[in-house]
Amino acid sequence: MKPDSQPPDPAARIPEQDEAALVARVRAGDRTAFGVLAERYAGVARRVARAVLGDPDDADDAAQDALLSALVKLDQYDPRRPFGPWLLRIVANAATDRRRRRKVRRAESLDPALVAGGTRPDAAAEQRALAERLRGALAELSERRRLAVVLFDVEGYSHAEIARILGIPEGTVRSEVFHARRRLRVLLADWKEDG
Amino acid sequence: MTQEPLPFDHRPDPALGAALRRALEPEGEGGEGGHAAFVTRLLARVDDLRPTASWDAVLARWARVGVAAAVLVSLAAGYLVGRATAASARPSVAEALIAPQMPVVEVVLASVLGN
Repeated sequence: MKPDSQPPDPAARIPEQDEAALVARVRAGDRTAFGVLAERYAGVARRVARAVLGDPDDADDAAQDALLSALVKLDQYDPRRPFGPWLLRIVANAATDRRRRRKVRRAESLDPALVAGGTRPDAAAEQRALAERLRGALAELSERRRLAVVLFDVEGYSHAEIARILGIPEGTVRSEVFHARRRLRVLLADWKEDG
Repeated sequence: MTQEPLPFDHRPDPALGAALRRALEPEGEGGEGGHAAFVTRLLARVDDLRPTASWDAVLARWARVGVAAAVLVSLAAGYLVGRATAASARPSVAEALIAPQMPVVEVVLASVLGN
């Protein structure tokens, strides 16, 4: 991990040697070790799945399926490489598969006033409203762009790691992050002006 | 949030990241949608997988018993076939003719018919 790509919350990352030891214990059938891994990666798995699916329940189902799939496929993991990108590739694929299986996308309904940048709610509801508006803004991005910006700005993965997760060239990741940020800023501009 | 980023800016935007994180966090933390509840549900599903795994063990046990039984059956069959072959073995005409006792009738007859 390069210093410029440290996650916003570095404590959320497990040192690689600890990860390798944990994975070895899980491979040996240690349920507690899997619990530790699940505990550490559940948050990022759920956020990444939600970035793809939008719906929180669908996202949780996809994240659970992905974590179980990772457990079953653990023999395929190369312990010399970081565990996170390997796991998140499974999560992203599980979420994408689930989205494709859905006949009709159940996008979260947005408050039209929020989408149009209408009157601001009171302070207590401001954070929730901003979150809803951001989810709406994310939903307007392509899936790959959404994942790229979430993995980079929320989860702190490097471009190279995101390239491995998404299976695309590193230059494409840079481009996707840039365009996603620009689009999000445009969509959120009226909110900022109101503030 | 920071201002318009430079093209291909390699630095994460902490403000945008924090806002997006809040937007993607599950609601009802501490309740059914909470982190702990999610992990608990996940581990329960891991436990559900265990009976499936134990089938492997059951099949492996059956396989071991099956291999042992197959070996025993093969040995018994080999013994019986060998015994039957030994019982059906007949002396050759030359052996019968030079034998100290009188040759049996069918041996002489067989040698005549064979020639």
